[in-house]
Amino acid sequence: MSLAARRSASAMRGHENVKEIAGSAGLALVALVVWQVASGLTFVIPTPVETLRVLVANLGDPAYLTDVRATAVAVVSAFTVGTVLGGIMGLVLGLSRWARLIFEPLVIALNGVPKIVLYPILLPIFQLSGSKVVMGILFALFPVLINVATGVREVPAVYWKLGRSVQASRVQMLLHIILPTIRRPLLTGIRLAASLAVVGVVLSEFFATRRGLGRVVLQSYGHGDYAEMVATILLLIVVSFTVSIMLWRWEKRIR
Amino acid sequence: MSTIQLDDIRVEFDTPSGKVVAVNGVTQQVPSGGFVSLVGPSGCGKSTLLAVISGLTRATSGQVAVGGKAVTRPGRGIGVVFQEESTLPWRTVQENVQFALQIAGVDKGEQVERANWAIDLVGLKGFEKSYPSMLSGGMRQRVALARTLALEPGVVLMDEPFAALDQQTRIFLGAEVRDIWQRSQQTVLFVTHDISEAILLSQQVWVMSYRPGRIIDVIDVDLPEHRDASIVSSPAFNQLHNRVWSSLQEESKRGFRQQETRT
Ligand SMILES: Nc1ncnc2c1ncn2[C@@H]1O[C@H](COP(=O)(O)OP(=O)(O)O)[C@@H](O)[C@H]1O
Ligand SMILES: [Mg+2]
Repeated sequence: MSLAARRSASAMRGHENVKEIAGSAGLALVALVVWQVASGLTFVIPTPVETLRVLVANLGDPAYLTDVRATAVAVVSAFTVGTVLGGIMGLVLGLSRWARLIFEPLVIALNGVPKIVLYPILLPIFQLSGSKVVMGILFALFPVLINVATGVREVPAVYWKLGRSVQASRVQMLLHIILPTIRRPLLTGIRLAASLAVVGVVLSEFFATRRGLGRVVLQSYGHGDYAEMVATILLLIVVSFTVSIMLWRWEKRIR
Repeated sequence: MSTIQLDDIRVEFDTPSGKVVAVNGVTQQVPSGGFVSLVGPSGCGKSTLLAVISGLTRATSGQVAVGGKAVTRPGRGIGVVFQEESTLPWRTVQENVQFALQIAGVDKGEQVERANWAIDLVGLKGFEKSYPSMLSGGMRQRVALARTLALEPGVVLMDEPFAALDQQTRIFLGAEVRDIWQRSQQTVLFVTHDISEAILLSQQVWVMSYRPGRIIDVIDVDLPEHRDASIVSSPAFNQLHNRVWSSLQEESKRGFRQQETRT
């Protein structure tokens, strides 16, 4: 590519970015206005300003931060374990015809089960603190597993031939052919795992837990403290949203 | 010495609709440093024969030896350029060409040096940092060629490397391949379905039949060493072309009829 062409291409990309940011900002503004109007209609919804005030106050409160940490630790563990486990299971399912024949129907069926109904069964086994992590893992596991398994099966036959013809070892095959080939579906799986880990953990916290943001939300609902409730929900949304967007942008950038 | 010796090669495949004999009774030899082209109707077993020589597919019966050693699995001495698009889109040209060297555990400095040499050889200098998606089909095929040449294998097997390219690019790259071969000691087996290409490039042409794939004609190409585009209008070239063409035509008709009745 000539220098001029490269410059104009990067200018174009810059243009796209500006459009993207302007679009997002516009959308956020609309959401804010709708929120403001809605808060005037019912006392259940606090105004944006009130919500922000409560949120800031909360983040300075050590007791609240303990809840934040409890949820964060559970989410990060669930995400990490779920992604690694899902990735390994996906590789096995994608690579081995036997594993596929035996386990694929099981995986599809299990994925169809509303996982949260298992929570009462998990509780006596993993206790209050462990169960929500396990639930988060169950939520995070499947998108990675399914995306990796499908991706591996779609590795072009010629890549396998290439690998074999240069005598690549299994590890080299994995690192230099399979992982790069499935990079896109893998990242999609990871992005979905990140948001589903939050869903699994917070959903569990709604039902039973000692500490965590799900419990805070439910408790403030019980006390009729809607500002506290909405502020916490907002925190959850903003954090998940930011992580998803970051992963999504990364996904778009790779070749 | 890298003679390719084929002794009564037979390859069968089990398919849902029964046993397919892809290659049968092939006994041939490519002398060390020789350039042989293999032509035949599509589906006649050319790729299968190449896969057997490269060690990617085991023959059902018969023996393959390269440089006097039986081939039982892929080895460093045999380089393959595949029929399918095989560049790795997440790697730059430089990284693609270094791929085989990297897998072989060649140290970094030597990887770069040999890749640069191969990139220069196929005329891709200046494109080292480009990604395959930024290149034309012809350039991508050159990347694949450079990746194989960078290993400096004694034997190079090329499976319709230019099939997807336009006529001009084919002729140009063909001349380049012949040029590279003339300067090296490599033994080349080149698969194509283009008769002119086969004659123009090689010292000998093998004609393969359709189902079962046998070598039905072997034609020595006694054209001068130095060949340019004008040679295609010479009487000698035309004679060779006619000979290959008539061998092939019988075959293609038969193959076509077989396929027709099959479907
Ligand atoms: N792995 C395979 N399994 C079953 N049949 C195959 C396989 N590979 C090739 N064949 C069959 O063997 C025959 C020869 O194929 P191939 O060597 O690819 O032909 P060509 O390269 O000459 O076009 C074809 O009929 C093809 O369908
Ligand atoms: Mg073929």
